[in-house]
Amino acid sequence: MVFLDPTTIIDILLIGLSGTLICLAVHFIPVGGAPAAMAQATGIGTGTVELAAGSGLVGLITSSYMYAYEPSASVALVMAAGAMGSAIMLASTMLAGGFIYAYGVAVPFASAQVKKDPITGERQDIYVSKGTQGQGIPTICFVSGVVGAALGGAGGGLIYFVLMGYYSPLITTHAAAVAGVFTMGVFYVNSVIPSYGVGGTIEGVHDPKFKRVVPKDVFTSAVVSMLCGIVAILIAGGMTA
Amino acid sequence: MSDVKEITPINLMLFGIIGGLVGIYLSPYFPTAGALGAICAVIWSAEAVRRVAKYGLGTGVPSIGQIAMGMGIIAAMFGLAMVKSMPLAGPILALITASIIGFIIGWFAQHVIKMKIPVMIRCMTEIAAAGALIIIGFSASVAGNYDFVGSLIPKVFDNGVILAVFWVGAVAMLHPFNACLGPDEKQKRLLYLAGSTGAITMALMGIAAVMTLGASGSITLLLGIVLWLIFYKKFWDEVYNDAAAVVGTGLIPKTEA
Repeated sequence: MVFLDPTTIIDILLIGLSGTLICLAVHFIPVGGAPAAMAQATGIGTGTVELAAGSGLVGLITSSYMYAYEPSASVALVMAAGAMGSAIMLASTMLAGGFIYAYGVAVPFASAQVKKDPITGERQDIYVSKGTQGQGIPTICFVSGVVGAALGGAGGGLIYFVLMGYYSPLITTHAAAVAGVFTMGVFYVNSVIPSYGVGGTIEGVHDPKFKRVVPKDVFTSAVVSMLCGIVAILIAGGMTA
Repeated sequence: MSDVKEITPINLMLFGIIGGLVGIYLSPYFPTAGALGAICAVIWSAEAVRRVAKYGLGTGVPSIGQIAMGMGIIAAMFGLAMVKSMPLAGPILALITASIIGFIIGWFAQHVIKMKIPVMIRCMTEIAAAGALIIIGFSASVAGNYDFVGSLIPKVFDNGVILAVFWVGAVAMLHPFNACLGPDEKQKRLLYLAGSTGAITMALMGIAAVMTLGASGSITLLLGIVLWLIFYKKFWDEVYNDAAAVVGTGLIPKTEA
């Protein structure tokens, strides 16, 4: 069978790795959910899936653009393009959200999970309003979010690159659409799994929850993504005329 | 809880699977049937989302609709692409693959991530399977049949209609419970709303079908609008019925001295 071929196994592992990157990315992004939308928790005021998928899909667009217009692009270049696209998308989301929290809602940015911001060293606890879980997007959350988005975009770019290698010899001009849609499917599966793990909200890399939930979420994502990888390569087998 | 008799999950599951598959198999002769089959699957999946999301997922109801479509689209592509020699087996293979992926993800959610939702595995399997049927059904109504390489790729994937199938299908599946959830949530009202979200998705697919199939797509469009009006009116009536039961508490009695 084709499965025993070492390149096939490496490709399945690569798809597994990219799914794992997307899963890991979700944990870095400061997701506040509904409480953050009311400025009662730190982070961006929407759900994990929306943020991960929104930034990840922009990463998919930038990486596919790189793949389409630079035929000799290496995998690193495609991944970097995806990482840049995602990071810019999430950074602008957080910047715009930050303006609204600062000048619209008028809350000081503070994290309730750490006493001092690990990057700036500013004290956090005295700025947290009573009865809330922090407000806005402090520096550590912003940096963590940008790193997370870059990981997610790189993961999306990697799946796309691997799948294009399989599909483009078989269905030439149609390959981009099929690979893109498959990547989107893997993206959604891998952004929802960690969102169940974190239970809706996480502040970023400094959140105590991060260490607690990352191992089991990453394990789940790795297994599920490798399954998706096997499916993706079998699909290519079905395309041969 | 309520004395209103509910339709059992197993009946809705049979309705979704049989209705969905019959619609998909009829789609090469009558493309609109694909969308009608997908509406059956939407109604089934809305019930499955209702059962699992009642426990509170912590991430909002939309997340489960999106994972359902993510699993469904992978399984649908796999099922349809794999069976070149006997295309009739495609939708069934997609259904089985989706169930397996859903079962695995449900098992992990329950035992590794430890979500502690007793119906997680069963409902995840059901919504993944329904997601695959929704995607194949609506795609078939746009492409005219369910041949993956020959029809779906040029008519649904290349022009980006698949994104509309993905998103609008996900909303059709998750919106009914997302809109109806709460203490007075009732199955009948939710199922009518599921019918209306499915029908409006069908109307949107009709617009796409007019582009790909020409005049025969307008049947999908018109039937979708008619079904949407019918189901929405039913939902509207249910809302009025149920609202009277909630609001009619009478005036606050005056305290007597």
